[in-house]
Amino acid sequence: MTEAHDHHHPRPASEVELRARALEALLAERGLVSADAIDAVVELYENDVGPQNGAKVVARAWVDDGYRERLLRDANPAIAELGFGGTEGDNMVVVANTPAVHNMIVCTLCSCYPWPVLGLPPTWYKSPPYRARAVSEPRAVLREFGLELAEDVEIRVWDSSAEVRYLVLPMRPTGTDGWSEERLAGIVTRDSMIGTAVPVVSDRVLA
Amino acid sequence: MDGVHDMGGMHGFGPVVAPDGDAVYHGRWEPRVFAIQMLVGVEGLGAGPGGRPTREEMDPAHYLAASYYERWLYSAEQRLLRKGTIAPGDVEAMMERLAAGEPAPAHRDAAMAERGLAALRTEHPMKPAPPETRFAVGERVRAKRMHPPGHTRCPRYVRGATGTVEAVRGADRLPDRAVYGENVEPEPVYSVVFASAALWGPSEEPSWTVRLDMWESYLEPA
Repeated sequence: MTEAHDHHHPRPASEVELRARALEALLAERGLVSADAIDAVVELYENDVGPQNGAKVVARAWVDDGYRERLLRDANPAIAELGFGGTEGDNMVVVANTPAVHNMIVCTLCSCYPWPVLGLPPTWYKSPPYRARAVSEPRAVLREFGLELAEDVEIRVWDSSAEVRYLVLPMRPTGTDGWSEERLAGIVTRDSMIGTAVPVVSDRVLA
Repeated sequence: MDGVHDMGGMHGFGPVVAPDGDAVYHGRWEPRVFAIQMLVGVEGLGAGPGGRPTREEMDPAHYLAASYYERWLYSAEQRLLRKGTIAPGDVEAMMERLAAGEPAPAHRDAAMAERGLAALRTEHPMKPAPPETRFAVGERVRAKRMHPPGHTRCPRYVRGATGTVEAVRGADRLPDRAVYGENVEPEPVYSVVFASAALWGPSEEPSWTVRLDMWESYLEPA
């Protein structure tokens, strides 16, 4: 799982970067948008709101059948139980993977994404190839992510171009019996909640 | 609007998994533009349709060449211009001042930060669906053939295809009209499932299903 970080090698500012700086400076000069407000929004999505939230939701659903049932029936209150919610999570639906069904999420028209539980989307989710191909050749897309599903698994693609935002509830992997909720959350990746991966128990996690 | 943003099923864009594709941002300016666009809305500094319909109005070649947050910069600027908060040429003039070595003006306002965070914590759920809806769960429906010049949430690839209503999500104002300020009443929104063959014809892949949330105005009886 990769978080938002800059490259560390210096490079000249692009035209669009200069334009962005100028707009911020212009709005500051006129007293319309403050630097601390910008900082607060940026820091919210860098520190507090990200896939670690969704991972806690998934881990809770794995260990608590009552929570899982509430989450799948009416996701917003269940997600709010863990303290998460807000913009772009206004109408949440959680879809569960089973041995027969694999869910994956896309927004073909924009790049809509459930911010309160996953943070802001990775570049590939916003890219033309994903927006074009997730609906028209999902297995080819999943293969690029290294995910090969059995032929008889039904792939359900959710195009979240309207107002509902989706979160995939992946299957709990075998070999995790007795794990704490916190340890389980550690193997729930962002991509497994979008549906382009499944959680795996790796040596790295066991170490 | 049948623009290049409506990408479902298009060919030729290449692989999904690409170098640097996992990052959320590629430069510090990107989250700042994200925040500026949010604050333009929260502070009422913009006008016209929201950020999403505005980005769809970009020149198609520019849209495809631009990064995600370059599109957000575009929509923030356009909305500020439409409100008259900034005037044409203002951004370019500031670019020249900064290039000439002027320090960037600073402005601080802790209350604005609070308003911004409060707005991001606030959810705006759809209204509940009425007890009786035109289409019932299990009913076959067809996405209308249409060619709307303005904003729509009915992607091209689904139009003319027949699917099945699987759930009623709630009631919401039709964005095709609401984003332009029309005072339209909420209408039912349905989750509709389409078989891959209904959307794409024969495929080398085993059949799959695609689900979309569709306003009632997009549907007709099949």
